[in-house]
Amino acid sequence: MDAIRADDLIGLFQSWRDMFATEREFLIALDGKVGDSDLGITMSKSFAAAYDTVAAEGAAAGLTKLLRSAGAIMAKTAPSTMGTLTATGFLRGAKALEGKDAIGTAEAAAFWRAYATGIAERGKAKLGDKTILDVLDPVAGVLETQAASGAALAPAMAAAADEAEAALERTKTMKAQHGKAAVFQEQTVGLQDAGATVGVFLVKSMSAFAAG
Amino acid sequence: MKKFLNDPANFVDEMLEGIYRAHPQVTYVNDDKRCLVVAKPKDGKVGIATGGGSGHLPLFLGYVGDNMLDGCAVGGVFQSPSADQMHEVTKYIDQGAGVLYIYGNYTGDIINFDMAAELADIDGITVKQVVGNDDIASSVVGEEHKRRGVAGIFFVYKAAGAAAANGLSLDEVTRLADKARLNVRTIGVALSSCVVPEIGHATFSVGEDEMEIGMGIHGEPGISRKKLAPADAVVDEMTERVFAELPAGAGDEFAVLVNGLGGTPKEELYILFRRVSQLFEARGSKVKYVWIGEFATAMEMAGASISVLKLDAELDPLIAAPVNTPFFAHYKA
Repeated sequence: MDAIRADDLIGLFQSWRDMFATEREFLIALDGKVGDSDLGITMSKSFAAAYDTVAAEGAAAGLTKLLRSAGAIMAKTAPSTMGTLTATGFLRGAKALEGKDAIGTAEAAAFWRAYATGIAERGKAKLGDKTILDVLDPVAGVLETQAASGAALAPAMAAAADEAEAALERTKTMKAQHGKAAVFQEQTVGLQDAGATVGVFLVKSMSAFAAG
Repeated sequence: MKKFLNDPANFVDEMLEGIYRAHPQVTYVNDDKRCLVVAKPKDGKVGIATGGGSGHLPLFLGYVGDNMLDGCAVGGVFQSPSADQMHEVTKYIDQGAGVLYIYGNYTGDIINFDMAAELADIDGITVKQVVGNDDIASSVVGEEHKRRGVAGIFFVYKAAGAAAANGLSLDEVTRLADKARLNVRTIGVALSSCVVPEIGHATFSVGEDEMEIGMGIHGEPGISRKKLAPADAVVDEMTERVFAELPAGAGDEFAVLVNGLGGTPKEELYILFRRVSQLFEARGSKVKYVWIGEFATAMEMAGASISVLKLDAELDPLIAAPVNTPFFAHYKA
């Protein structure tokens, strides 16, 4: 597809929900290595609630209202740090797309930039701290480049998904600075960050959705 | 561990049930006992909300009442409440004049209060924030933004509560709360650990003959662990740091809070205050308002903190204003 409109967005949330339901156990195990194992539960619960909310509101609510409602219900559903950060991303993404009714390449770039910035501000994280930011910041960068060169949404998202994978690989060499993982700083070297993994899953699902 | 418990998992909720039965001037919203609010918010007044982990009574919820706070989101023991709980409290206490959040400088609380403010903004409620960072032992001068919020937040609550009760705007209430924040310093000393009910054993240990100056109210490491000294020497060492940041000269006026951390008798707090008072006297400064007792505790931790607020013409009447809350009442002198 060339753009994600309000009715498509409901389908995208369905994809995200299904994906996190599938990856729930994997994320629980990954987070359990250095965190408190609640990430898989947080994400599957948040996105299930988000899908129910946007589906109930319907496409007539409009693109940005749906994103905002998704963010608000996520904040309510999963009050863990990662749940709050994910919710923040959707609220900031909604703000960045104010007045738009479709997500093309430029809007996808604006969305993920706002998402990454929102998470960085709220979580007080910097690049290199081994967080989801280390995936979403380069993703936004790639999308900005793709938008500047006039790429269509599907190939632009495919390039972003590739970058997300590569960025996740790079988190393995970093030391965790935030959350419970920070207690294990040295032991986190070699492991992919669980939050960053969530970032990859989000971008890859969106890419697959845009390709379909 | 010897504690009065039924099931440790119900520690916070059963405590809250007791609070609601004892103090009908507070109630809760959204069918969630952890969203505590005043039963009758005042029309048109700026709302003031706080929040934080349990285990510190009277902090935080104990100051919700007349001329002080309007609502409090209550977390598990030493855990932040959720953004959603803060948002529910915010919606209820907003009376059209906006809401001020006053809470301590801890990562979890900041993330959740920021999130709640963003959710409130979507509802069209204006929210401002003042984040308490009075614990001078938790970071050096120049890095004040890293300091934790402890007992000194009491003075920020009092200043903001009086300002809001006077009908001032959200901007003015925020400015005055921030002024109180900038003029208060606290330093603590711990003599023993605390026990989180669901953990069931001491969080850390302090030797029989030791004290730790600067320890936080969740057992965060302090500045120095050393042999317990006579009370006067302990006060001298603690207040030296306070006076370095809040100079006390001839004619200056202060409010002082000597706070017990949960396991120290009031008698000992008065022995500490005796010395504090002597030190101000020696400098020619006046301690105009004094509060001594338990204001911000750390479960059963033995120890105390000393908070000092430098007064000026603007803060003085706010600190003097009467308040009436479940845990703290202060009438006109």
